[in-house]
Amino acid sequence: MCGFAGLARHEPRGVAAGTLDRMAAALRHRGPDGCGRYAGPRVGLAHVRLSIIDVAGGAQPLGNEDDSVLIVYNGEVYNYLELREELAAAGHRFRTRSDTEVLVHAYEQWGTAMLGRLNGQFAFAIYDRRTESVFLARDRFGVRPLFYSVVRGDLVFASEAKALFASGEVEPAPDPVGLDQVFTFWAARPPRTVFRGVQSLEPGGFAIWRDGRLRGGRYYELDYPEARDEPADALPALGDLLGTGVALRLRSDVPVGGYLSGGLDSSITCSLAARESPYALRTFSVTFDDPRLDEREFQLLVARQLRSQHFIQAIKPGDVASVFPDVVWHAESPLVRTAPAPMYLLARLTREHDIKVVLTGEGSDELFLGYDLFKETALRLFCLRQPQSRLRPRLFERLYPYLDPAARRGDFWRRFFLDAGTTDDPLFSHLPRFSLTSRIKDFYTGDLRATLSGADPLEELRASLPSRFAAWSPLNRAAYLEMVTLLSPYLLAAQGDRMSLAHGVESRYPFLDHRLFEFAARLPTSSKLRGFREKAVLRRWAQGQVPAEVQQRPKQPYRAPDIPAFFSPEPVEYVREILHEANLARSGMFDPRAVAGLMRRCQAGVATGFRENQALVAIVSAELWYRQFFTDAAQVRPGRLPVPDVALADGVTAPA
Amino acid sequence: MDESAILTRTRAYVLDTFLYMRPGFTLGDHDRLLQRGVIDSMGVMELIGFLRSEFDVVVADEDITEQNLGTLADIARYVMAKRGNGGPARG
Repeated sequence: MCGFAGLARHEPRGVAAGTLDRMAAALRHRGPDGCGRYAGPRVGLAHVRLSIIDVAGGAQPLGNEDDSVLIVYNGEVYNYLELREELAAAGHRFRTRSDTEVLVHAYEQWGTAMLGRLNGQFAFAIYDRRTESVFLARDRFGVRPLFYSVVRGDLVFASEAKALFASGEVEPAPDPVGLDQVFTFWAARPPRTVFRGVQSLEPGGFAIWRDGRLRGGRYYELDYPEARDEPADALPALGDLLGTGVALRLRSDVPVGGYLSGGLDSSITCSLAARESPYALRTFSVTFDDPRLDEREFQLLVARQLRSQHFIQAIKPGDVASVFPDVVWHAESPLVRTAPAPMYLLARLTREHDIKVVLTGEGSDELFLGYDLFKETALRLFCLRQPQSRLRPRLFERLYPYLDPAARRGDFWRRFFLDAGTTDDPLFSHLPRFSLTSRIKDFYTGDLRATLSGADPLEELRASLPSRFAAWSPLNRAAYLEMVTLLSPYLLAAQGDRMSLAHGVESRYPFLDHRLFEFAARLPTSSKLRGFREKAVLRRWAQGQVPAEVQQRPKQPYRAPDIPAFFSPEPVEYVREILHEANLARSGMFDPRAVAGLMRRCQAGVATGFRENQALVAIVSAELWYRQFFTDAAQVRPGRLPVPDVALADGVTAPA
Repeated sequence: MDESAILTRTRAYVLDTFLYMRPGFTLGDHDRLLQRGVIDSMGVMELIGFLRSEFDVVVADEDITEQNLGTLADIARYVMAKRGNGGPARG
């Protein structure tokens, strides 16, 4: 796992090595093991490396036989051995054992059609010197990031936006519409980001830059061709996909560890990994003092069964607040939960124990309808089919069992769900969540409201839905929305890639093997959500594979403390400072009087609901984000680069 | 305390607790608190705590309905009734 950056100029006026080094330095945390660059008359490429496969031979940029095709690449293509065999049979000669070189030859052999053959999590840029073009691509579900900007006809691209700004060619500025999306969906929706003029390449997408023009396309679309009946061989087929998905993700020249949450999904991935791994598995967990958040009982149960070497990151009072500014710097976005912070600390612990690759269970809840949101959708539909029924709405009391039972009953609880939207709205499933998150906007300044007048994030989302969306069942529509609004742009990004690679740790996601996604998408939804039983088919398969307590355990979402992370009851010093009226006025996003009211309630210990918790995290993170990216205080925090392993240059190169 | 005084106090509480971030918001006595986005089920828990501490009224589970707590006017009427029927409710 690595980071890369580059520049492609409309005119061949050269790309300075110094510019590339600045961009690489901004990504140093992603690739602490080495670096390299190519500086040419039209295109420049920079790379920082986390060595995982072919530690000795995989330095980048890496070329084909005559270096007419050069690649910088972040990620893993798990089926590279099979592709290599196929390419070698077609006459390609390989100099290294790396998956990177397989991509170069795959491009030579199949062009952009190569993408459909890759099973992996990746983003890359291929410079084809024969056509003077740059080919950018990103994996199907958006595990690995790729940002770009077109400035005066030049293309600037990088694994993180901060490297774009480090180039000096892209001016950092907030995008109010992107911000408004964060405060609706939890994250900006690709291609939009929270930075003006900076785009995120969409998951399953590619782009080709040639002659100063960028042309985009897609090679993968999510689809849900749901069958009426579960196939007779569903369980063995599922077992085979899980087994090979994990085995492929254990391909590495360094030891692979596992994150263990104590839930079903990571217990499955760790169990399969422990069986397959040539090393004694090392597992890693976060624990919390608050028993409502803590899952250590189940984590230890699984770790004992696997006989793994288990390491615990205990989250203590003050821990989240102390790293939160760094979390925001790496996430590059305002956040509405602090949940990425413990993941940041977990990655640090993992790296301290010499593990730089971990398997995690993300993706399963989206594939197998694990979240309460799916039950909520089914229940809302059930109730709205018979609006007069007084009994049906009582079932809402069974939702979200981890919340305060006193708040989970009565008219107000039920009506929140039942009044959230009509069944003919394509966003029906997500309207309660979107409407709850949007309460953050109550804190906007009048100026921000005026800037946003006319922007409608929900309408934009509706307009972006594929034509086949309407033909899917309501629960598959919900699953799709969950994938595109939350999994890709938030869970895999702010809480995933950015937190683990802040410490040079690569996370791998067996549940996000596209073959498994396609298998799950074909299953009838009743195989996944059966009454109030989520992930039914996965539980059936897991019987005997993981401890019975975990196999039967209801889903517990991963959460972290929000307001209590910053107030005890006085705010931590930097929160007091950034929420001060003068600072708020500088950024202009949130109304100082409204924020003062929130501070007062946080200090009094009475701000306990979702609305105020998410508002506080949103405001603190947005102000930190603003300060770190748009003020003089700390615009770039470059890491130090070592001597490059690869330093290619040809033709005209511009001065630094 | 009459119904109008209860309503005035409750209004002040709702503005201060749930609407401090929306200073321009006009809340009528008969506006639906849930539908207008003023209060949610967590907020109702807080409101129930207020009714207990301010008016000594204990809201039973079965009383947590929109009929009793849906608007400021509903709340005032409900509190008045609870206080009037055998004196202040006890928990």
